[in-house]
Parts: sequence; structure tokens; C-alpha cells
Amino acid sequence: MMPRYFHAFAFVALLLAAAPGRAANPLVVEAALDREVVAPLLAAFELAHPDIDLDFLDRSTLEVDERVTGAAPAPDVVISSAMPWQMARVNEGYASRLDSAEARAWPEWAKWRDEVFGFTFEPIVMAYRLDLSRHMMPPATHADLHTLLTEQWDLLRGRVTTYSPSQSGVGYTLFQQDARYTTRFWDLVAAMGNAEAVLEANTRDMLEGISEGRYWLGYNLLGSYAMVWAQEHPEVIVQVPQDYSLVMMRMAFIHRDAPHPAAARQFLDFLLSREGQRVIAGETPLFSVRPDVIGPYTAQRLRDQVGDRLYPIPIDASLLAFVDPQRRDAFMQRWRREFMRR
Amino acid sequence: MRLLVVEDDPLIARSLHQALTPLGNTVEGFASHAEAGAALRHDSFDLILLDLGLPDGDGLTLLGELRERGDTTPVLILTARDGIDDRVRGLDLGADDYLAKPFSLAELEARVRALLRRSQQRSDNRLRLGALCFDPALGVASLNDEALELPRRELCLLEDLLLHAGSITPREMLENRLFGFGVVGSNALEVYISRLRKRLKDSGLRIRTFRGLGYRLEEERE
Amino acid sequence: MIEVDGTLKSRLAVWLSVTVTALGALLLVEAYFSSQRAAERAYDSQLESAALTIAEAVQWQEGQPVVEIPAAALQIIATRHQERVFYAVLDAEGRRVSANLDIPIPAEWRTQVAERPVWTNTEHSGAEWRLHGWEFDSAGWETQDPVQIWVGHTLAGRQALTGELFEGAVSRFLVMVLVAGLLMLLAMRVALKPMRRLRQLLRQREADDMRPLDARVPEELRELAETLDTLFARQRESRDALLRFTADASHQLKTPLSGLQSTSELALKSTRPEEWHRALTAVHQGAERTSRLASQLLSLARLRHVADGSGMNRLDLAALLRETVFDWAGRDVAQGHDLGLAELPDTPLYINGEPWALRELLGNLIDNALRYTPPDSVITLGLVKRGGEVELYIEDDGPGVAPEVMERLHQPFERGGRQDTEGSGLGLAIVDSIARRHDARLKVAPHTPCGLRISVSFPLENRP
Repeated sequence: MMPRYFHAFAFVALLLAAAPGRAANPLVVEAALDREVVAPLLAAFELAHPDIDLDFLDRSTLEVDERVTGAAPAPDVVISSAMPWQMARVNEGYASRLDSAEARAWPEWAKWRDEVFGFTFEPIVMAYRLDLSRHMMPPATHADLHTLLTEQWDLLRGRVTTYSPSQSGVGYTLFQQDARYTTRFWDLVAAMGNAEAVLEANTRDMLEGISEGRYWLGYNLLGSYAMVWAQEHPEVIVQVPQDYSLVMMRMAFIHRDAPHPAAARQFLDFLLSREGQRVIAGETPLFSVRPDVIGPYTAQRLRDQVGDRLYPIPIDASLLAFVDPQRRDAFMQRWRREFMRR
Repeated sequence: MRLLVVEDDPLIARSLHQALTPLGNTVEGFASHAEAGAALRHDSFDLILLDLGLPDGDGLTLLGELRERGDTTPVLILTARDGIDDRVRGLDLGADDYLAKPFSLAELEARVRALLRRSQQRSDNRLRLGALCFDPALGVASLNDEALELPRRELCLLEDLLLHAGSITPREMLENRLFGFGVVGSNALEVYISRLRKRLKDSGLRIRTFRGLGYRLEEERE
Repeated sequence: MIEVDGTLKSRLAVWLSVTVTALGALLLVEAYFSSQRAAERAYDSQLESAALTIAEAVQWQEGQPVVEIPAAALQIIATRHQERVFYAVLDAEGRRVSANLDIPIPAEWRTQVAERPVWTNTEHSGAEWRLHGWEFDSAGWETQDPVQIWVGHTLAGRQALTGELFEGAVSRFLVMVLVAGLLMLLAMRVALKPMRRLRQLLRQREADDMRPLDARVPEELRELAETLDTLFARQRESRDALLRFTADASHQLKTPLSGLQSTSELALKSTRPEEWHRALTAVHQGAERTSRLASQLLSLARLRHVADGSGMNRLDLAALLRETVFDWAGRDVAQGHDLGLAELPDTPLYINGEPWALRELLGNLIDNALRYTPPDSVITLGLVKRGGEVELYIEDDGPGVAPEVMERLHQPFERGGRQDTEGSGLGLAIVDSIARRHDARLKVAPHTPCGLRISVSFPLENRP
């Protein structure tokens, strides 16, 4: 973790501690988003809205999803990177519409029904250890990766890591999306299985493994984390795939039964506002979505750097297919079959 | 007698003046209604000769005003209008007679004389024509100041004829007066008329028959 | 009296706007429903294709239908309006093989779907949904059970499309109304142009211009133009008659006036009082004749002028006759004659007539009789009832007229071939005119043993 995040975190903690029992205008946010990561954002929000008593609860995607339907009282705002599940909840009618200038101006591709908004922009990348390049040409595309895995499988055996689709909703979503783009994806899965790839539950574990030298190559990592990690750890190289790069978004919506709808609207508006996006771009590892925010960590800058190869996971009804149990079962079955092929 | 002539045509006005003055009248003439109206408010006359069509107004208005004031001075209307409507309206408003232009002076003199006689009788109550006189109050008739002994019906007849002297007395009126409304022979009236004629013989008066119309007591003309 | 009763333009506009409003209301209602139908059709067909796409993905495994919901199908269901999405795949027993929402599907719908595809609306989780159910027989290795596919979405898109289509219809309609209104104004200008032209033509006419109109008019104005023409023609006729009459009259007046002039002129030259007296007598007679002529001309003119018969009413001819003869008998002019009235019928004799005209008629008859008969002649007036008519007659025992002039007597300025008396010859012409006005017949006949008998037969008015 970078020192600046700790400062920010400390600042928020201080702020919260300094003002105990403030005027009761509470706001409950259930988020599958590391608190440390977004601390500057939360601090900026509290600064802008000192009257709101923000209660930011950081949980896993699964827990967040459960609390959408199960929590009483319901949370005010729900944030999660498990895009299909968020989508399914919205489709079930758990979201309430945000009718504001910010919401209307939000790019069409990053929202659905004006109820749920993708407010971050996170490219999915490959990461490798510098050691790898001493033995082979590092992969730049999915095809390169496949070739590498087939040709150098003895060298890479046990040194490749990726998301576990069964343990991580994000991982599952990414693989589903990969599978939608090309049927050769399954060859890749088979190749990873052949290389005895290790499946991790989150990006940090993968990055730690690479830094520690356990892994040489990681596939489908959250680029936001990986890029920040690589700045701190020079032995880790981040590669944005040159053929296509998926982009994941954190999705936020106001709960239909939000006990504090006004505060919830203010929070969401802040996320979508120029100020909120500026904080995301400038003070967190996340990328901002808004085209009018300028800085190194913006969707626009990323596009400029990577070109047209960014493929955001579309926020639309097709995501609902990913949570269909039969489809999920079928996908997982095939995953296992291909991974264990050998 | 004082006569007022309201007439704007100087020729006619002069003729009237010349014709009426010799009959023993004083004639005053005005050419406009305004002047005549003013004169009427201050003075009284025995007869008014009124031309209806004057430049400054309608003679009927003047007549109406006169009668409204309760002035009963006899009025003879002179007009070039031959419309019967004007005549009827004039009589309705209280005109006593009506003469349409052009008229003969003889006719005018006769009318004027009759009107003056009637207006005089109104003050004196006795009916006169020539030598004949009848006092309705006493029911006595006289000829040349000699009492005329007459039966009742003849007296009635004489009274009616005298009352209309100068104009025709309708036969129906005389019959009703004499015989009531009972049906009588067409000769019955004639019988009384001829009796009366005999009595008036050589008196300078005569009764003229108008066939189918009536009778008129008149002075014999030379 | 011309009363202005609105304008043709506003009348047309009112009718048009009433029609347009009524038709427009109908049209808009129709447009709304057809927009709705169109939107329903468009979105229903999307549901249909989504159901087909899902059906494609149904497979059988171990006797059970299995479906990997195609993402594309969901996108089709969601439409570009991002509807909320529902899908359910039901096996033959109605169990949900796969479904994303728990929208209940009652057994009756399921049985209906077996017959034919079902379209229905339902309420769920705070929104209205359009559902489509479709059943198909899928062939697997072991079974051939039917599978039902239900898809559905919320209605925002339909409503938006309906609104969009309806708005389009409304704006088209408004444009149409606007164009129609402008066209109507234009049409009205064009249609009223002949009217303006006619008006201008009439305005430009001189006051005494009685020529027929020279104008091109549409069929609708023909009647008006013809009526105007007839009016002009009548005015022309009456003006011509007036001119003729005035010429005749002035000629007639000039004759006695020139007599007066010459007589007085001669008398002025003379120094002898006897001459003066003779001349003055002649002048007096001439003046009398002239003034009588003038009043006769006047009544003739009046007769021709007042031709509308508006003064006609029911009157007792006997009473009128008695009154008029009474009046005349007392006059100075009648003193030389024996003017009398024959025994009149006891009952009133009603005719339809104008009192002033009838008095004029009687006056002229009596006046003529007095003038054209020697003194002490017996002149008698009377009435005879004959069937549906009443004959008014005047007879005298004067010299009468020759049979050959009898026919011409009632023409103006005819004096029965005699120049000796002071008549103008207008009297009988006036009588004739008045008789015509009363639908009466004038008859001139000799009277036995001598003299003339003039009779006028009026139709009796029997109406009470």
C-alpha cells in the first residue's frame, strides 16, 4: 500500500474521530471496494457534505450482493465490481432511478436505465516478472500468451496465475466476457490448465505472488492495482494486451428501499461529479470515466495510450446471462473440463 | 272680426287680404310659423287661416300647440298638399275646415263666413241665417223678428238645418232626429221639407235638395 | 335597411374550425390508438424474436431441458430503451428450468400457451410488464416434451414509442391544419374576387347610369347580377316614363300658360277697360284650368310613383261614395248642376282599395261630369251589386260623346274631341289608372236617352 493512501486513510479516520455523534444525517454505503483505495474519495465527499454521516462498509462482492436483498434496513447505496450481479439486482427492481444533471450527462455506455452507473474504469491486464523476459519474449497479446503457454509449458508450469472463476465473481465475469470474444479462449484455458496455473481469489494475491517470485506471469489482473503495484515493485511489469483489453467498472446504485434517499442521491451525484471523478483519477489507483476530467488515470488517457483496444464490459442486459444458474453451471463445467484436459 | 293669415306666398296672402277685408274683417298676415305662434300667444283672433306647408315648420305643429293651450279659435287649413292624410290629421288636431289649393275666392269666402258665424253663435247661442233666427234655449224660431209658430218636427228640422246652414245636412241625420230610428217611407222627410219650404217662401231663404244626400238651407242668390 | 350579419370569412372560418376540431379530435384519438398499436407490434415482435433466440439455445441433457441463456436474447428483450428483463423456460410440468425473476405464471396461461402464443400484461415488483409465452416441441434423444418460453419486459419503450409516434401524428396534423387554413384564406380571397369586382363595378357607375351590367361573374353570383340588371331595367323604364311624362306635362302646361301670356300681353297694350275686363276673365279661366291641370298631373305622377299597393285595405265603397259625393255636392262648382246620389244598398259593400286613390277617382269622374255637361244637367252616382262585383257608375244627361272617340277617352290628354270646355283630358286617364290598380274595369257607354254613363266594376272583397 502506498504511503499516500495511508495518509489519506489516517486523515479520514481522524476526521471521523474528530466529529463523533454529528447531526444525524446518516448514509449507509455497502461496497465491494477496498476502503483504503477510495479513502480520498470518501474524504472529499465528507468535506463537500459535512452534514452527512457516511457509513462506508467494505465487504466482499458476495456479501454486498446478499445485503441488497437481505439487509434490514436496506443499505442506501450499493457498490460492487461484480457487474452481472449488480445488473441482476437492478433488473429485479432493487435500484431507484437517479434523476439529476450528472446522471443524465453520464455516458450511455457506462449506465443502465439511469439506475446503475459504472463510475470507475479499470483495464484488465497481464503482469509478468522481469525474470520471464530473460527466458522468453514476454506476451503482448492473448495469442502470445497461448503460444508461450504451449511452447514453454515446462518452464512456466506452476508459475502462471489467474483468477479463480469459482471463488471470484470478477474473475468469472472476465472469463465469461473473454469467452464471448473468441472461442480460442478455451484453448487458452486448456493451456493454463496444462501449465498448472494457480487460481487466486484476487488481484493483490496474484501481484504479491509475482513480487515474491512464486509466479512469473499473471493473467486478467485489475490494471488499476497492478499499475500502482508496478510503480512500487520494479520487478513487476504490467502489460495491457495489444489485441484487446477488457475494462471493468465498479457499479453503484441507490437502493430502492434506501432509508436515506436524499443523502444517497448526493453521494451518487458526487461519484459522478467532476470533483468526485477528479479525486478518483488523481488520488486513487482507479481510473475516472468522465471525459472532461484530465489526468494520467483517466479513461481518456488510457485510450490515448492503448488505442482502440479497450473493451469495456458492456453495462447492458447481456450481463444478466452471466448470472443465469444454468449458464453459469455450463460455463463452469466447461472451464473445469478444459482446465483439467491435459 | 280679426283674422290671422299664415301664408308665405305673397300673391295668395294679398288675395286673401283683398278678398276678406271688404267683408268687414281686420286681416293680419304672417309669413312664418314662428311669427304667427308669437302673435297667437299674445293676441286673440276670431279666425285663423293656416297654410300647412311653410318653410320654417309644419303648420300641424302650430295647430297642435294652439289646441293644447285650450285655444278654441276656429282654424281653416289651406294647403297645396292634396293628401287626404294631412286633411284627416288636421281635423283630428282640431282644425275646423280644410281647403285645398288651388281654391276659388268665392269658396273661401263662403267657408270663412260659415266659420265666423259658427264662432259667433258659440257666444250668442242663437242660430241665424238671413232673416231667420232660432233660439235653442227657448225653442223659439222667428222670421223677420216675427215669431214663427211651428209644429215640433218642423221646428226640429229648422234647428238642424240652421245648425248646418251653408252646408248640406245629411238626410239620415234629419230622419233620425225626426222619426227616431224607426223605418219610415222615403217620402216622409220630403213632406216636412216641403211644408217648411212653404213657410220660408219669399223670406230670401230656400231649402235646396241634394238627391240621395240631404238638404241645405241657403240664402237665395240674385 | 342593410344589417351587417358577420362576415363570410368568419362564417366560413367557424364552420371550418368546427369541422376541423371535430374531425381532428377523432383523428387524434385514432392516431393515439394506432400509435399504441404500432408500438405494441414493434416491441411484441422483439419479444417474439427473443423467445425464438432462447428456444434455439434449448438442449436436452438426461431427459431434462437445459438452456444456456444467450446474452443476445436478453439484449433483444431489453431493447434500446433498457427495459427490465424477464425470461423463464418451463418444462412440460411447468417447472422453471431457468428464470431470472419470480414473476408468477398461472396454470391457465400455461394451458393457453399450449394452444397458441400468449401476449399478456402483468404487474410485478412495482412495474407493469408485457409478457409473451410461446411453446415449442423440442426434440431430444430421449424425450419430445414441449418447452415453454416466457419472456417479458417493462413498458417504458412502448410508451416512449407511442408518444413519439403520436407526437409525429399531432405535428403532421397541425401542419396540415395550418396549411389548410392558409389555403382556405387564399381560396376565400380568390372566391370572393368576383364579388369585389362586382362591387367595384357598381361603385364606379354614374348615378344615372342604368345600362345593364357588363361583368363576368361565377354561377353563384349570376342571380344577383341578373337581379341587379332587372332592377336597372326597371329603373331605366321608370326614368324613361318619368321623362316622357315630364315632357308631356310641361307641354300641356305650356299651352295654357302661353294663352295667359298672350292674353295679358294684349290686354296691357290696350287702353280700353272693356278689353281689360275681357282679358282678365280669360286669364282667370286660364289660371283655373292650369291649376287644375297641375293638380291632375300631380295625382297622375303620384299614381305612377306609388305603385306598390301598400295602402290597400278593406273598405266600404258605399260609405266612401256617400262621403265623397257629399263633399262635392257642397262645393261651389257643383251649384249649377243637379249632383245627386242614387239609392244605395243597405248593406256595406266591401272592396280592397286605397281610400285616397278612390276619392281621386270619384273626384275626377264628378269633376269631368260637371265640366262636360251644360248647367242644370242631372248627374247621378250610384252602386249596383252584380255577382262578385260592385259597379260604381256616374251618369249624366249631357250631350255624350261620339262612339268613335269613346274608346280613346281614357288616354291622357284626350278631350272627347272637344276643345270648347276647360278640361285637360287627364281626368279619365287618372280614373283608368286607379281602376287598374284596383283590378277594376272601366267602361264608357252612352246613357239613354242622352248623355254618358261611366262605370267602374270592382271585385267585391268577401273576406270578413
